[in-house]
Amino acid sequence: MTQIVIIAEIFQGMIRPVTFELAAAALKIKKLNMEKKYPGKKTPQMEIPGVVKIIVPADDPLPLADEISKRMDFDVIGLRIPGLKTYNSDIYKQCLSQLIKKIKPSHILAANTSQGRDFAPGLAVRLKAASISGVNQIRSDDQGLIYSRPVLGNTRNMIIRSMPDTPVVLTLMPGVFKQDLPDNKKKGKIEICEIPFTPVSGTTAKLKESSRIDKPVSAKSNSKNRILHQQILQKSCENPALKGAQIVVAAGRGIGKQENLEAIFKFAKCFSSSAVGASRPLVDLGWIGYEHQVGITGAAISPKLYIACGISGSSQHLAGIKDAEVVVSINKNPAAPIFRHSDLCIQAEALEFIQAFLELPRADLVTYRPANNKA
Amino acid sequence: MNILVCIKQVGDNGDMNRFDAFALEEALGLKEQYDGQFLEPIFVDVVTIGGQAASEIIRRAFGMGADKGFHIVTRKTVYVPPFVTASKLAAVAAKTPYDLILTGIMSEDLMEGQTGPMLAEIMGFPCAAGVVKTGLPTNDNAVFLEREMENGFRESLEIRLPAVLTIQAGINTPRYPSLSKMLAARQKKIITLAETDLFPEPIQAKESYLSMEYPEKTRAGHEIKGTLADQAKQLFNFLRKKDLI
Ligand SMILES: Cc1cc2nc3c(=O)[nH]c(=O)nc-3n(C[C@H](O)[C@H](O)[C@H](O)COP(=O)(O)OP(=O)(O)OC[C@H]3O[C@@H](n4cnc5c(N)ncnc54)[C@H](O)[C@@H]3O)c2cc1C
Ligand SMILES: Nc1ncnc2c1ncn2[C@@H]1O[C@H](COP(=O)(O)O)[C@@H](O)[C@H]1O
Repeated sequence: MTQIVIIAEIFQGMIRPVTFELAAAALKIKKLNMEKKYPGKKTPQMEIPGVVKIIVPADDPLPLADEISKRMDFDVIGLRIPGLKTYNSDIYKQCLSQLIKKIKPSHILAANTSQGRDFAPGLAVRLKAASISGVNQIRSDDQGLIYSRPVLGNTRNMIIRSMPDTPVVLTLMPGVFKQDLPDNKKKGKIEICEIPFTPVSGTTAKLKESSRIDKPVSAKSNSKNRILHQQILQKSCENPALKGAQIVVAAGRGIGKQENLEAIFKFAKCFSSSAVGASRPLVDLGWIGYEHQVGITGAAISPKLYIACGISGSSQHLAGIKDAEVVVSINKNPAAPIFRHSDLCIQAEALEFIQAFLELPRADLVTYRPANNKA
Repeated sequence: MNILVCIKQVGDNGDMNRFDAFALEEALGLKEQYDGQFLEPIFVDVVTIGGQAASEIIRRAFGMGADKGFHIVTRKTVYVPPFVTASKLAAVAAKTPYDLILTGIMSEDLMEGQTGPMLAEIMGFPCAAGVVKTGLPTNDNAVFLEREMENGFRESLEIRLPAVLTIQAGINTPRYPSLSKMLAARQKKIITLAETDLFPEPIQAKESYLSMEYPEKTRAGHEIKGTLADQAKQLFNFLRKKDLI
């Protein structure tokens, strides 16, 4: 049986939880493969050990490998790369491809995160593998496995197949493959494998270095590594207001102009314990501060109610509101993807709708209250 | 110093991919900031692969300040595997000793986020994806940058040139093409390359397109209809029932 390898995601010396989502996806692939191979049959074959291997690249991979094997009975390969303290795409691509070429797996899984997007496509090129990014569904048809990935601003999923007998690198959308792994009865096997990194040289097309006259050449630029990590920075993004709010009213590009944010703030004031959120483009445009950004590179929130005004519903935005209890969206386009991920859909011009809401004659409104409510 | 920016035409209106406008602005910004400080002048070229109409975005790039424009003319298809696109871009990029190649973090239509990192690998260059800040502080043999990660984290890197960077939105404010440059751009020649000249043999794709589907619904999706006032009232009642207002 061909093998499936997972590249564990490590950040600041810790295993990121998305690694366990990759494991869940690997199990899914394994199951689909088994069903193809032994149609109709069940569990015994499912137990074939060693099909899934998790690679943990680090200077000292043992503690991390140990942590993973405690949670899952997959084999773990601690890929020891002397000197690897933080993620580095050059080092990942070189050392991982050497190891993976020996394993010859059919599937290589990484997360579609800032790390996976950085190294996985290049790794695929090195391995002469197929490469499919942002996978949000894996299933099979009569010819084998097929993969779904979002396109066109999340309005469609494109179904892709990789060539038979070619390994495939998949980067998986975070948050879609459930982490509900089977109870771990036995610990997975741990193996440590050392592959040192050899700095890449000689690719510099430029022969002469034309230094700036006023500044000395930094000592670091004489280092052999092409990519030098300097430091991790963190934006002051802690946003207790957004994270703690019961109700979040959020604005997207559909509000048209910055001045219209005023209406969004007014709308939010209709609710107690509310805050204003925003899609990334509004933050990029400088209309509103980063602390309001909702999504994969902003805040993930879990309010009782999320009202999306003029937001299309990109996967990156939706990733931040998965845990909202109720989602209401206002969008003028009936085909906006956000409507597929809303409890209540209001097709309208966002600003006009908000105006109408603010102007509701209160006396007309039903004054229904749940019986158990004090008021 | 030579900079190449990969730009793609997307959508029904034939616009430049939003992320590529950020990439082009970043290249033009570097040129404005550092030109004259190194022994070599800084040039910013653009390249696109697309149908005839894709020349419009090259004109736009000229209007923003790009020097040379390359257009690989192809037929439009639903899906081109990123490796195929990257291989074609590499063929153009290899004709000039580029120090820095910028792409968008992803295209708005295919949303792969793979073309830049693959192009780097094909060229044998280092790569950084999701760049939100760049600079050439000490020499023109390395670039300083910040790369965006999740949850507000960034990492700062120094990368030896030549290199490929994929540019994230928000890194700058892309300029509008200037009228005078747009007029001058009409005289400028776009260097057109026929795909069949560059690639007599088609590049072998390892992925194939099957179909398009609508994404699954994850929530009830109840529609509120009627006049604005009706819709507003229904929302109010819905929220009241749930004790949210
Ligand atoms: C690595 C990466 C990370 C990202 N992280 C994030 C993130 O954390 N958060 C995030 O939000 N995005 C993120 N993005 C960006 C994301 O891909 C989308 O570009 C973005 O979410 C779109 O924002 P939007 O919905 O406001 O704009 P658009 O997609 O332009 O949507 C605007 C919507 O408004 C509607 N509309 C237009 N006019 C009106 C009107 N008058 N009334 C009502 N509706 C109207 C339109 O129909 C459309 O649906 C990220 C992208 C990348 C590549
Ligand atoms: N047809 C194309 N022509 C020029 N550049 C492209 C093309 N397709 C992709 N790119 C570049 O690669 C980036 C990422 O695209 P993708 O991998 O499709 O998400 C884009 O932002 C462009 O900079």
